[in-house]
Amino acid sequence: MHIVDGALSAPVVITGAVLAAAGIGLGLRRMPMEKIPAAGVLSATFFVASLVHVPIGPSSVHLILNGLAGLVLGWAAFPALFVGLLLQAVFFGFGGLTVLGVNTVNIALPAVIVGWVCRPAIAASSPKVAAIWGAIGGALAIALTTLLVGIALAASGSQFVAAAKLVFFAHIPVMVIEAALTGAAVLLARRVKPELFDALGPAPREA
Amino acid sequence: MRVRSVAAITVVITCVSSGVALAHKVVAGAFASGDRIEGEIGFSDGSMAANALVEVLAEDGRKLGEVRTEEDGTFVYTPTEKVPIVFRADLGAGHVAEVHLSVDELPARLRAGSSAGVGAPSAAVTPSPTAVAAEGSAEAPATASATASALEAQRTLLAELVRNEVRPLRREIIALKEKNDLQSILGGIGYIFGLFGLWFFFAARRANAKAAGR
Repeated sequence: MHIVDGALSAPVVITGAVLAAAGIGLGLRRMPMEKIPAAGVLSATFFVASLVHVPIGPSSVHLILNGLAGLVLGWAAFPALFVGLLLQAVFFGFGGLTVLGVNTVNIALPAVIVGWVCRPAIAASSPKVAAIWGAIGGALAIALTTLLVGIALAASGSQFVAAAKLVFFAHIPVMVIEAALTGAAVLLARRVKPELFDALGPAPREA
Repeated sequence: MRVRSVAAITVVITCVSSGVALAHKVVAGAFASGDRIEGEIGFSDGSMAANALVEVLAEDGRKLGEVRTEEDGTFVYTPTEKVPIVFRADLGAGHVAEVHLSVDELPARLRAGSSAGVGAPSAAVTPSPTAVAAEGSAEAPATASATASALEAQRTLLAELVRNEVRPLRREIIALKEKNDLQSILGGIGYIFGLFGLWFFFAARRANAKAAGR
């Protein structure tokens, strides 16, 4: 899931960096103060989740959990996931510093989209229905991420269909696992602290 | 608190992952071995890249040749030019392995010889003189040629033996470099909490200033 240094062409890297910077800026602005601790915890969750590996055939894929981050944080998923990615690059050598922007967009943009699509339904429905929406969100975020990775690779010269297919199919098990995890997390959150999902709703403007 | 439940999930995931702390990244290494360069490419979870195409490039992007990895992810290349070499393998899905070898990491004979005069000796046939052999070659003409060749053969054999002994060690070192231990995981989490704490501090200060200004 992490594209490494040297796999992408310069225009893609620069576009990614610009988009990521814009997303981070937007996320920092839109963040109500009360959500900052949640953002920190989700950032740490993301940071650690990538170490959970699911072996598949000759290779293995890891959890991402960007759907959960998007559901809780909305645009603030950008800074949260960026920090996670930065530290992964520094500590574990996942991805790389030059492709940080692209990786941030690939992982955080689906999170934001999922948050935008699924959060209203999660906030409005009963905990059980919300859990199903959470599961859908968890899987959707991964699917969108694979799509973006495919696009980034295609823009750098790889065959789009082949590249996207490879990434997509490799991540189907991850989608299943993340759907279950995100669904469970949403169920728990709705029971324990339901306002988590509507705090960012129509009136987020405070700080 | 909601945050506490998320924290609980984090802790659970941390516990699970510390057992399987493997990085999904490309690991590649290459080193001189006699006249050849041996290398290997794989993923850091231990699986190797079988039958992957490895492009051999000069530093300026000129293609010197290409090789394929074996089933166990290893490849062998016999360099013919005294230039820095880059091995590059595209494993798909954004995984690209690159190994850079500078001139002083090239095989000893190539380093000592001229830049392009070595040709491509097939290492299986020609006994490969090593760094040791290069040193010894000054005294070799003095002794009888039969003794010299026997010595030469012995050296080659010895060098081969040492290489075989050292190879697993090299692999282990490559694997060790990629290891994520609990310290770096906890360190990373600490950094994250620290950063967000800082952010919280600034946000709170701004809110305070706003409240005071009103």
